[in-house]
Amino acid sequence: MKFGKRLKQQIEETLPGWGDKFLSYKDLKKLVKLISSCAPPMMSGSLEYGKAEAEFVYLLNNEIDKFNAFFMEQEEDFIIRHKELQQRIGRVIDTWGPNGSQPSETDYKEELAKIRKDIVDFHGEMVLLINYSNINYTGLAKILKKYDKRTGGLLRSPYIQKVLQQPFFTTDLISKLVKECESTIDSVFPPPCDEERTLVLGSANIGVAGEGIFRNTVAALLTMQEIRKGSSTYGRFSLPPLNLPETDVIQSNSLQINSPIAIP
Amino acid sequence: MEARPAVSVQSVVASQLSNCGASLSSSLPMYPTSLGEKYPKFPDLQQASTEKELKQYPGTVVSSLPSSSGAVGLMFSSSSGFSADLHFSSVPPQEKHSGPAPFNSQSTNSETSIQLPHSGVLQSTASSQYLIENNEPWCIDPLPNFLDPFPVQNSQVACSNKQSDWQEWADLVINDEDALASNWNDIMADTSIADSEPKEEKQPLNFPMQQVQASQQIPAVSVETSVIAPSSSAASGAATKQRMRWTPELHEAFVEAVNKLGGSERATPKGVLKLMKVEGLTIYHVKSHLQKYRTARYKPEASDGGSSEQKQSSIDDLSSLDLKTGIEITEALRLQMEVQKRLHEQLEIQRNLQLRIEEQGRYLQQMFEKQCKSMPGVDLAKGSSSTADDAFAQLSDGVQNSSGKNDPGVSQIDTAKEVDEKRKGREREVPGDPETNITSTSDSPPSKRSKLDE
Repeated sequence: MKFGKRLKQQIEETLPGWGDKFLSYKDLKKLVKLISSCAPPMMSGSLEYGKAEAEFVYLLNNEIDKFNAFFMEQEEDFIIRHKELQQRIGRVIDTWGPNGSQPSETDYKEELAKIRKDIVDFHGEMVLLINYSNINYTGLAKILKKYDKRTGGLLRSPYIQKVLQQPFFTTDLISKLVKECESTIDSVFPPPCDEERTLVLGSANIGVAGEGIFRNTVAALLTMQEIRKGSSTYGRFSLPPLNLPETDVIQSNSLQINSPIAIP
Repeated sequence: MEARPAVSVQSVVASQLSNCGASLSSSLPMYPTSLGEKYPKFPDLQQASTEKELKQYPGTVVSSLPSSSGAVGLMFSSSSGFSADLHFSSVPPQEKHSGPAPFNSQSTNSETSIQLPHSGVLQSTASSQYLIENNEPWCIDPLPNFLDPFPVQNSQVACSNKQSDWQEWADLVINDEDALASNWNDIMADTSIADSEPKEEKQPLNFPMQQVQASQQIPAVSVETSVIAPSSSAASGAATKQRMRWTPELHEAFVEAVNKLGGSERATPKGVLKLMKVEGLTIYHVKSHLQKYRTARYKPEASDGGSSEQKQSSIDDLSSLDLKTGIEITEALRLQMEVQKRLHEQLEIQRNLQLRIEEQGRYLQQMFEKQCKSMPGVDLAKGSSSTADDAFAQLSDGVQNSSGKNDPGVSQIDTAKEVDEKRKGREREVPGDPETNITSTSDSPPSKRSKLDE
């Protein structure tokens, strides 16, 4: 139930509106249990088994439809917002920038500050969408593995092949947008300096920027690490454990958003 | 030989149709010809897998065809007909969006087994326009399910709603081949709603902007998949919920068109649609996209972010931000960026790993099957598991070792050699489910893991 718990945590902490778009892992697990408890007397070859499997597959398909729909909708939004952000930056620079039509340092700085915050949040949202995709894939892989194990079926391998092709799992476009966003951010942020870092170390409110997204991101990283820790069913299709060097940092940050962070 | 499956299919179709009282008699005469010419290779697969699989997994199409590597591919790739096994392996790595078909077939197979009329009808006219290999695998999907009586209950319900749709399709198909592509989209628009199978429609819309070479396949794919989708949707009508996958290029074209028409407020969906001239794009797509576009533009410059809650917290943040210096804020944002970048990086690595693991698994499975074929009487699924386990152990060890460097480089060649050696030296066992048979391999991962932990 470890993954189920982790998934539940992620869902609880996820961005508003995303909660019911995740995999119904618990329900599927129940179904697998049900099938496996009825199945022993009538294993492969019986009509009922085929029926059960068909129902299971039907539910899985519905889940995947759900993922696809949500994912593509978000993707579309991101595409639009990505372009809008770039235009907005252009406008700000052209209007209030040093070479703009109405150069005004205060306005420029103010607008840039807003843009920085928005763009970082935007970046975070996109990454969280990729995380969404990944965690659902993981859930599917796990439930399929359970199914095969409990019912002796051979559903996992071919089915997962199809999942790999699904829109919600083909996150290349979003990744590309994320990278583009990163380079835009670099252009909008001033170069880092040591003075800034020491100031931040002393400050009491680190997590003030985009708290919801930030917390979610931290949670996602921790969850990923937890999920990939060795389990009793570690097998050839399992991912290797994940070792994040900044786990301490991340962990302390996630527990107390407002405490100072020791930046390594 | 070709006539046999055609006839059996036809009779099954006829019985199914009579169950539902649907009248596609006008289309039926097309079957013998269409099925006949479409099944040159069909009997092979039919004989090999259908009989065996039907008994075991009557309800599922996917798991019933693992024995042929090409067959698995046919589930989701239009290009992987029996005559084109190579296509199958080339599709996944490139991650073309050209294969969402199977889920439609899956869900609808369990719901209703009345898809063949559609596919049959589709093929007869589609054949001239599309590659034959696209249609062959298509046929295989619904057929095994035909002999399974259990979905009748659902099909009864679905039936009554579909009659008018079928007539429409049948008419369209008989009449106009040239307009087929655009008509299909209209049909899809009309019928695929509540179920919202979004995958199929996006391909024709992507490809005009991207890959031209697959252009001939795309209409086939979208047509293929769309046929199943409507049969599972409950409502019919003008509204559509078919989902389209937008790309930045497409969006650029959209913005251009909107600007030409005087801005987002002035532009109308119809006008934009006309200006864009993108094949397969419907007015519904443009409408919804325009709506999103307008919302994104005219949201006050405060925040780009999602819902009101999010906005609220960001507004609060903004006001509290006033109390802090700009430098602190910037640095806090930088930290946030770092964490986000890290997560993204890890996600990409994880995804690549997942892809490779499955790819390796598939590759090895195929190899074993090829080997097993030369040794008749061996149960494929079970016989390959023992040596597969060792091979996979090597794989996961290799992956583990390299994960520390964040470089998921696994050598396929080494693993394959390993597999070969073991296969020769080892006798075949018949253990249980391959998935559970990891006792031999589970020893190695923990020891490797402890090394990493040091």
